[in-house]
Amino acid sequence: MADSVLEIRNVDKIFGEGETAVYALKNVSFSIKKGEFILIVGSSGSGKSTLLNMIGLLDRPTNGKVFIDGIDTSNLNDNQVSSFRNSKLGFIFQSSNLLSDLTVLENVILPRQIQRTDANATEEAKSLLKTVGLENQMNKYANKVSGGQAQRVAICRSLINKPAIVLADEPTGNLDSVSAQTTVQLMKSLNRKLGHIFIIVTHDRPQFGDVDKIITIKDGRIVDDEMMEIPTVN
Amino acid sequence: MDYRAKVGMRFITRRKGSLIAASLAVSIAILVVQVNSVIFQGLYNAIVRDQINYRFGHVYITRNENFITKSDKMLVNWLERIPYVEAAAPRLDSTASINSTGSGQTVRNYDVPVIGVDPVLDAQASKMYTTVGDGQYVSSRNSIVLGSLVARDLGNPHVGDSVKLKFKDRNGLDQLKRFTIVGITQTAGSVGLDNSVIMNIDTLREILGRPHETQSIMVRLNDPTKDQVVKDLFLNAFPTRSDNFKAQTIEESAETTLSGFRSGIALINLVGYFGMMSSAFAVVTIQMMQVTSKTREIGIMRAIGSKRKDILMIFIFQGMVIGAIGACLGTVFGVSYTVYAKETHITFQGSLALEVTYNWLGILQTDILAFVLAIVASIYPAYKATKLQPVEAMRFG
Repeated sequence: MADSVLEIRNVDKIFGEGETAVYALKNVSFSIKKGEFILIVGSSGSGKSTLLNMIGLLDRPTNGKVFIDGIDTSNLNDNQVSSFRNSKLGFIFQSSNLLSDLTVLENVILPRQIQRTDANATEEAKSLLKTVGLENQMNKYANKVSGGQAQRVAICRSLINKPAIVLADEPTGNLDSVSAQTTVQLMKSLNRKLGHIFIIVTHDRPQFGDVDKIITIKDGRIVDDEMMEIPTVN
Repeated sequence: MDYRAKVGMRFITRRKGSLIAASLAVSIAILVVQVNSVIFQGLYNAIVRDQINYRFGHVYITRNENFITKSDKMLVNWLERIPYVEAAAPRLDSTASINSTGSGQTVRNYDVPVIGVDPVLDAQASKMYTTVGDGQYVSSRNSIVLGSLVARDLGNPHVGDSVKLKFKDRNGLDQLKRFTIVGITQTAGSVGLDNSVIMNIDTLREILGRPHETQSIMVRLNDPTKDQVVKDLFLNAFPTRSDNFKAQTIEESAETTLSGFRSGIALINLVGYFGMMSSAFAVVTIQMMQVTSKTREIGIMRAIGSKRKDILMIFIFQGMVIGAIGACLGTVFGVSYTVYAKETHITFQGSLALEVTYNWLGILQTDILAFVLAIVASIYPAYKATKLQPVEAMRFG
């Protein structure tokens, strides 16, 4: 575990109390090393998005601990968690979740501005947007670009602070098949090129082809956690 | 620009309806306070102006419970040697029973106040002569000027007609005298001497048997701010102990008239400020709507690292934008109305013309208050925004 960037240790998440208590996650443990491309799969309601929220520090586990870069995140206060999310984690959501009142470029720069290290941020953001083929769209408002383009903007935003881990919750869920495939390939190439961990929650396991690891969740428990080879979908 | 300011600005400026509604709420509140101030402070100033012009001057000299027996010419000369004094004039008050004769019939017979004035000095120290709409001001010993209300009650006699006045002299004996009407005086709002008659002071002294006595001396200043100085100079020169003089500034002499009015102004201003409070509620409502409509965005910002205080600052900044725009608009509306009221010498239903002044300090205070209120009104919605959890905000936003 010494070289793992992310370690989830005996995590439970219980919603409700007493007789109405529901285990969304039960005794979940696993670890992830630098540069891995991970899928979290499972049926609806299995707890995969809840797990992603725990990893992303968007929610706190009822029991257990989440370590990122060796830091026990359960000891962090609200401000520290916010700073941690900003510097160590990148987020891509199902519906791109850009700020519609900002331009594409401003959306990408935003995490750097939150970090208050926005020197060269514009140049870096432009470079990222060029990488995903959106250099001509950067001054458009975010609500004026297509779903596929918006998702690529969200990928750029997630990478601008060079996070240790990029978390994606159903990133292709709202896209047509062509845009979805483009987005998958983009994430995989960035993973190879930049070495960020990508953790992706998805229903659509075949769409991602070869990955480093697949974590299968069922009823809040990990039922399968191993290096797998998935047949490439033609 | 700080990203919180930029995001706050974008949030509010891209929702033009909310921005306009909230800013208008603030600006209308400022306008209400401004209009109240223009009308009621203008009315107050107009009453002060007319009390100075027609009745008291800037400094009003009387003698406690008695007539002034020192020579009025000596007192006026003494006063006019003070550099701040423009003019001074003696007056003598009394009452008389009045009637007029027209077409061989006596019209009305009732008591009216009588003001005796020095025709030359009074024209310098007061503005009463400017209120004579028909005819001229008092001149010769047997001439008389009727107030418009007196003239109305007498059946509207004309200049050149005669009236009879019956006085009681200092010994209680009736003194009947006929006068020729030389003018009719009328003032807006009847704040002048519309219910009185004006005659030559020497004639009145003679009738009353008070040849050297004076009721009051009104003193007009070329610098009204020196009223206290002139008052003090006079009382030092003629100490109350020996002469029993009383000298008052306009604020003191017209206190009875003005004190009630001041209370009214305070009450009206209070109503205006309550209006401002209601605008704060409008800002709260609009900001709450803004928070609700931006729930998802707040969740995103929290997810990518914004702290609660950053979210708070975004909505506080929106309050500042609303307050600033509202204050600017309110000032433009308010100053425009003030300019209009001042330039047109606005009156209401023939009442006295308002004495409008530019109260820049008052405008600034109102603006600052409105600005601060808009910010304060944004605190609760901003606080609510900080309480949103990122996951819930994105899921339900």
